[in-house]
Amino acid sequence: MSPRPFLRVSPVGLRGVVGPGLTAAHVLDFAAAFATLLEKPGPVVLGRDPRASGVMIREGVVASLLACGRDAIDLGIVPTPVIQHAISRLDAAGGISIGASHNTAEWNALKFLGPGGSYLSSAEADELLDIYHLRKFAFAPWDRVGQLRLVSDGIDRYLDTLAEVYDFAALSRFRVVVDCCNGTSALLLRRINERFGTTFVLINEKLEGVRFAHDPATTRDTVGLQLAPLVRPLNADAGFLFDVDSDRVALADETGEAVSEELVLALLADYLLPRGPGKIVVTNLSTTALVDWVAEQHGGRVVRARVGRQAAIDALAGYRPEQIALAGEGTGAVMLPRFRFIYDGIAAMLAVLSMIHERGQTLSQILGSYPRYTILKGVVPLKTQRIPALLMRLRDRYAEREGGAADTSDGLRVAWEDRWFHVRVSQTEPIVRVICEQRGEAPEELFAALMDEVRRLA
Amino acid sequence: MARREHNLKIGVSGIRGVVGDFLTPGLAAAFAQAFATYVGAGRVVLGRDTRGSGPMIEHAVACGLMASGCEVVRVGVLPTPTIQIYVGATGARGGIAVTASHNPPEYNALKLFNVEGLFFNHYERAELLDIYHQSVFTQAENAQIQGQRDESGAAPRVHLDRVLRHVDAEAIRRANFRVALDAVNGAGAVLTPGFLREDLGCDLRAIAIDPTQPFPREAEPRPDTLGDLSRLVAESGAVIGFGQDPDGDRLAVADETGRVLDNDDVLALVTDAVLARTPGNVVVNLTTSSVIDDVATWHGCRVFRTPVGEANVVETMLAVDAVIGGEGSNGGIIFPGVHLCRDSYTGMAFLLARLVETGLKVSALAARLPRYYRRAGKAPFAHGRLGAVLPRLEEHFTAAAADRSDGLKLSFEDGWVHLRASNTEPLLRVAVESRTESRADALYREVMELLG
Repeated sequence: MSPRPFLRVSPVGLRGVVGPGLTAAHVLDFAAAFATLLEKPGPVVLGRDPRASGVMIREGVVASLLACGRDAIDLGIVPTPVIQHAISRLDAAGGISIGASHNTAEWNALKFLGPGGSYLSSAEADELLDIYHLRKFAFAPWDRVGQLRLVSDGIDRYLDTLAEVYDFAALSRFRVVVDCCNGTSALLLRRINERFGTTFVLINEKLEGVRFAHDPATTRDTVGLQLAPLVRPLNADAGFLFDVDSDRVALADETGEAVSEELVLALLADYLLPRGPGKIVVTNLSTTALVDWVAEQHGGRVVRARVGRQAAIDALAGYRPEQIALAGEGTGAVMLPRFRFIYDGIAAMLAVLSMIHERGQTLSQILGSYPRYTILKGVVPLKTQRIPALLMRLRDRYAEREGGAADTSDGLRVAWEDRWFHVRVSQTEPIVRVICEQRGEAPEELFAALMDEVRRLA
Repeated sequence: MARREHNLKIGVSGIRGVVGDFLTPGLAAAFAQAFATYVGAGRVVLGRDTRGSGPMIEHAVACGLMASGCEVVRVGVLPTPTIQIYVGATGARGGIAVTASHNPPEYNALKLFNVEGLFFNHYERAELLDIYHQSVFTQAENAQIQGQRDESGAAPRVHLDRVLRHVDAEAIRRANFRVALDAVNGAGAVLTPGFLREDLGCDLRAIAIDPTQPFPREAEPRPDTLGDLSRLVAESGAVIGFGQDPDGDRLAVADETGRVLDNDDVLALVTDAVLARTPGNVVVNLTTSSVIDDVATWHGCRVFRTPVGEANVVETMLAVDAVIGGEGSNGGIIFPGVHLCRDSYTGMAFLLARLVETGLKVSALAARLPRYYRRAGKAPFAHGRLGAVLPRLEEHFTAAAADRSDGLKLSFEDGWVHLRASNTEPLLRVAVESRTESRADALYREVMELLG
């Protein structure tokens, strides 16, 4: 069966199903628009994940960059954080990451990165879209066409920086199982083992272009598939799972229990808030309330933005960097100040391991010290345009009649003392997401009622 | 209608334009997707000449080919004939050379080859162009994308070994000829020095053999662009000098005195050498010198004339099973024993072999050819004017036999006139030939006056 023709052009970049959705023409035009947008002189860094379509897209990206007079530096197949690190290290004008992260193999995407490896601001992203739609690109004259350079030490230079931040000698006492999901994390972790004598035991470590061992989503469910059952037999201290381009992470504790993807941010907030100086945790409206509890314990506070990377970037832009402890979502995507506020699953994993090391506790002991929250997540295909009516009905019922506090900045979030729900339309797929959480037991009844209502009107 | 600068041309000869605002990566990729859609999923050989925009266009073409499900076989910087031969020899679906051939460095273009490594014929070109314009391309899904492989190491030998089969290489090596070369820093720079030195044992004196440098002279190898080669021959005491164009399909030749021969005479020398061994049909374009007819007559062979353009000559060569062919004025020698493409390497090998066989110098070989005087020029070409101009010429030269298969060719007892609209530039090309210099000059003047 042919995949459905999906393409999404948004401020976050270009994402779609290659072939019926995302084509070479989109890639060439978008890369040319990006090269036209860049103001800082210098080369543009690129890298990709192992999807088969990545090679095709790379050729198109390189062609457009060269045509716009930019030199291109290709790092090959590398994690996205390595691309961002190289942009900063090489003082490049920007970069492009080719890879669809947590999506299945038939997808691909372009992520655009500015100087220093940062994500584009909303203003820049909007301008990129304008240039793309206008199709007036700044092609260089024939004698000023750029040149391509291949650079193979991207991972090693990134490891140099990791080694400045994390104590690999200490971390080498851990045995850690990692499900690489046939993605880029395998390249990096193998090299960490070689260089620092660590024991990362890798599964699904072969790079695959067409078929990943399983859905590359960083969720408790995927951790439960292959990774969690291996933790105890291998006598490991923890298990980690990365998406294909290694910007997200999920985990299992040393007992072999798959941990909710919501807990990664809470765990790292608990680690980083007391270390200071940042006291603010930036997250989104869909993330677990456990983050609020953790922040309270350390005298910090939570800033909740709309869902999506762009909203997080815009929220971060409103604070001085030193005010921020960390930022992230309940999807295993976490940004650390030390790593220039980019989603970096590898740095997040090393922070978790450092926490276990410094606390002298096991992962399950640390997690066991938190109050229990139970989150339920559902998805309903989006078929109608009656979303505003749906949200009004829900607001009527739950905020007006049942006394919840409503937040309408991104769909509808209604919160009570010990529970909340969030209903919104996805930015990346034609679906409605329903998320519902309660301290203690699962909010089964509320969730079922919400799903019913959404199915009826979505 | 006003005359426009044609900085981009998309037509039956493919896609060609000035890199920058005209020939963009998006256009190149779309054309490659049309090509891939037409030839179908499978191997497609991709190579280029040395111009600076080459890698950029090559990346765009690779993107388009892969996006439509072809496996891209990269052969890197190589002469066009080498790429064509590799297509035919390795069962590829087709091939693309990123080269604007003899055009100035600001241009680039795509040369398209079919499954046999031949230029697309009329029907193929028209169909490809339709697909391009319809923009309905095969869009491969992730699992159908085949990626690319590097076979740059394998391709040269396939070509050169094929050439060497047709000459007594051992005899040429024994002669240890001193040979001069100007490869215009083009694709020939990566192949020709080794071919002449190692394969043919020449004592090589070469200039412009750095593929990383820009073209040091006008790209088209002609007597008036090969001054450096002339001097090199004279100073080094070489027995022959070879001048290539950037993609190594065209060949110009200097004799041992440094005098650069007319390209028509080069084709005549090679034709003579081939027909002496294997008499057969000869195919040349309408603008090629009558010297070819004379040489064919020596061997009792027949000459067929075609419209200008390599694809046209090749089509007729296939149809009449020709043993040799070419396009005289632009230095194209086509020997089907190697491949049905213009190939400077075949030309070089055959000429060196001829020196061995005859024991004569190049100037002496050239002196044996009947002498013709040629004049060539260009007149601005306005759309809609041809219909008035051509009959005027026909009516003026009542004694001439007219051929209308490509513009207008008027043949007299002692010479001919050929006018045609250029395929690649907004110009009317005028060629005149006669047995005497005064008649050639007079004829040329007469025609140019009639053109106003």
